[in-house]
Amino acid sequence: MAKQEILKVEGLRKRFKDIDAVNKISFSVAEGDVFAFLGPNGAGKTTTIRILMDIIHADEGAISWNLKGQGNGFSIASLLGYLPEERGLYLDLPVINSLIYLAGIRGMQKSKAKIAAMHWLEKLELADRANEKLQALSKGNQQKIQFIASILHEPEFVILDEPFSGFDPINQEKFIEFIKEINYNGTTVLLSAHQMPLVEKVANKVFLINDGCEIYNGSLSDIYNKFGDRMVIDLAFEDHAPLNKVSEIEEVEDIESVDEKQIKVTFMPGTKMEPILNKLSGFAGITEFRTQKYTLHDIFLNLVKNHRS
Amino acid sequence: MNYWLQLKTVMLWEYHRFFKIKNELIGIVIMLVFFVIGFFGSSYAFKASQDKSPIHVAEGVDGELIELLSENFDVTILDDREQETFIAELPERKSGSLLTQEGATFEVHSWRNSGRIKELQSYLDEYRSGLAMREIDLPKESLQYVLKPATVKEVYYFTAGSRERRIMAIFFSGMMVMAVFISFAYQFTAITGEKQLRITEQIVSAIRPQVWMDGKILGITLTGFSSILIYTIISILGGIIYFQITGSPLSSVLAYLHLPSILLFLSFTVVGVLLWNSVLAAIASIITDPNNSVKSSLMILPSLFVGASFLLLLNPDNHVAVFLSWFPLFSASAMPMRFVVTDVAWWELMGSFIFLALAFYFIRKLAARIFHVSILINGNEPTWKDVFRMLKESK
Repeated sequence: MAKQEILKVEGLRKRFKDIDAVNKISFSVAEGDVFAFLGPNGAGKTTTIRILMDIIHADEGAISWNLKGQGNGFSIASLLGYLPEERGLYLDLPVINSLIYLAGIRGMQKSKAKIAAMHWLEKLELADRANEKLQALSKGNQQKIQFIASILHEPEFVILDEPFSGFDPINQEKFIEFIKEINYNGTTVLLSAHQMPLVEKVANKVFLINDGCEIYNGSLSDIYNKFGDRMVIDLAFEDHAPLNKVSEIEEVEDIESVDEKQIKVTFMPGTKMEPILNKLSGFAGITEFRTQKYTLHDIFLNLVKNHRS
Repeated sequence: MNYWLQLKTVMLWEYHRFFKIKNELIGIVIMLVFFVIGFFGSSYAFKASQDKSPIHVAEGVDGELIELLSENFDVTILDDREQETFIAELPERKSGSLLTQEGATFEVHSWRNSGRIKELQSYLDEYRSGLAMREIDLPKESLQYVLKPATVKEVYYFTAGSRERRIMAIFFSGMMVMAVFISFAYQFTAITGEKQLRITEQIVSAIRPQVWMDGKILGITLTGFSSILIYTIISILGGIIYFQITGSPLSSVLAYLHLPSILLFLSFTVVGVLLWNSVLAAIASIITDPNNSVKSSLMILPSLFVGASFLLLLNPDNHVAVFLSWFPLFSASAMPMRFVVTDVAWWELMGSFIFLALAFYFIRKLAARIFHVSILINGNEPTWKDVFRMLKESK
């Protein structure tokens, strides 16, 4: 059975002066999705998110929410969670007070908010610092508090704008698990991030945006099927990598120079391994040869590059 | 979650964030310490000023004058040589005065002019009057008869104003100035500070800007009034203690507590402070960096407006005074001031109050709209022109 759509965006457009920050994009998010909203810097992600959160208004287009709590006396805002890209909390106040207040303005009772806040603080190993002022915490820990503030009131839908920025790899992995956990417990997630390997681990749907325009909208598995059937080979040479000679191979689509001795070669869709091996055997001084899967990162770069060209 | 519940949450948050009873008590203790130091210091200075001050007079000065001066001065008589020495040492000593007399002409040598010289002048005038009266053979009684003031029977047709009411009106206007000053500081922290900390985006994703703005205005107004309430209670207690010490009956304090006037003054004061808080909130919404913004200076305006209404006490019935008592930016303090010093009809009070309340209603809405259009501006501060354009576009 198809999952119920809980957010539908149609023909959304926003202009700032003469620039289309968001140019007639449409997408929908279904209940239980982890929807990755991806794009390079300045692509229009944050503008779209701010429109969804009703912070700024679109010039054109329609947004419709279909949340379970709607119509039960709850405003949309109390059913949504939001981690803004621009972080900020009350630095001069105790952590627990800020968390209770932020949950309170989204409709959560004070007593429930306190219990939930302590639960999450324990989970994030910050329970003993609940009564400290936020400014006493490190940047990373402040970031954790910000995350708690966005999901404390158990929203039906949460928007996480750059949730991994500012975290070390260990904490990034932990946050992948937290996102999976809240999603498992019934919260639909829309996340915007630049860390493609992390997005791959958690998202089931992907929307790619560039210069305000949609360049891909579909499931994560489809994006691999559609754009991921490329072979990628990492090559290392004893001396300088022969870039020009490699680019003369007919099947080569793209070459990325890692350093002067190493290159990453992407081949056209449908390229077979055997003829490539034959052609590469003619190159002297290859010290390393490694094939790899065409990742979301590669697809992202390729799609953005093609869109720009 | 409805408007009122969210409003209550934001209002109480702002109130508890800024109103700290501990800080208030520390402030009061510091104020009392300064009061005690000031009281004893001025008492000491006053006592010292009552001591006889020294004066040097030349040998030739009339004995009658010396006798007259001795009532208030510690007189030392100097011969010619001592007079020269005294004058020569004046630039170094920088104190003391020397009086010489040549017939009816006097000369005073002193380092600089001072109150003591004026005092000396009055004794010399009195001495000269005595001499002149003797010269023309005028009895003292005749002079007193000539100088007697005209008898005037005063008939006033506005008698409602009393000293107590006037003091109450001044008290409430003073309270408003104080509340606005307190709000001035808190609005910066609550609005501009929140913008600088980039909390705003998180908050307005959860509540409408109008709720946010109303909550801040009410919370900060409540903070200001809580501080003032504490000071009022202390003032009343201080008044009671003062009247007890000075032996005045308690009714002297109670004479000030005229309930209908208090209700009237309080209503104007509360809505006036709310109105000014809305104006301050609107200004603070545009400011991105209070340390470098020229708009910060606008935040001081309310105190000037409220303070200006004190001038009404001088002439409460001219056109300017009537206009100010109706114009919302002044009326909260101007109308109560007029009410205690002249005849103000009930419909004038009602009309002025309704205008004031309407002005508050619309300015708080305008403040929320200004805040909404300038929410995400953290870089260059928008000019008034930008704000006007953004407001127009936001329609």
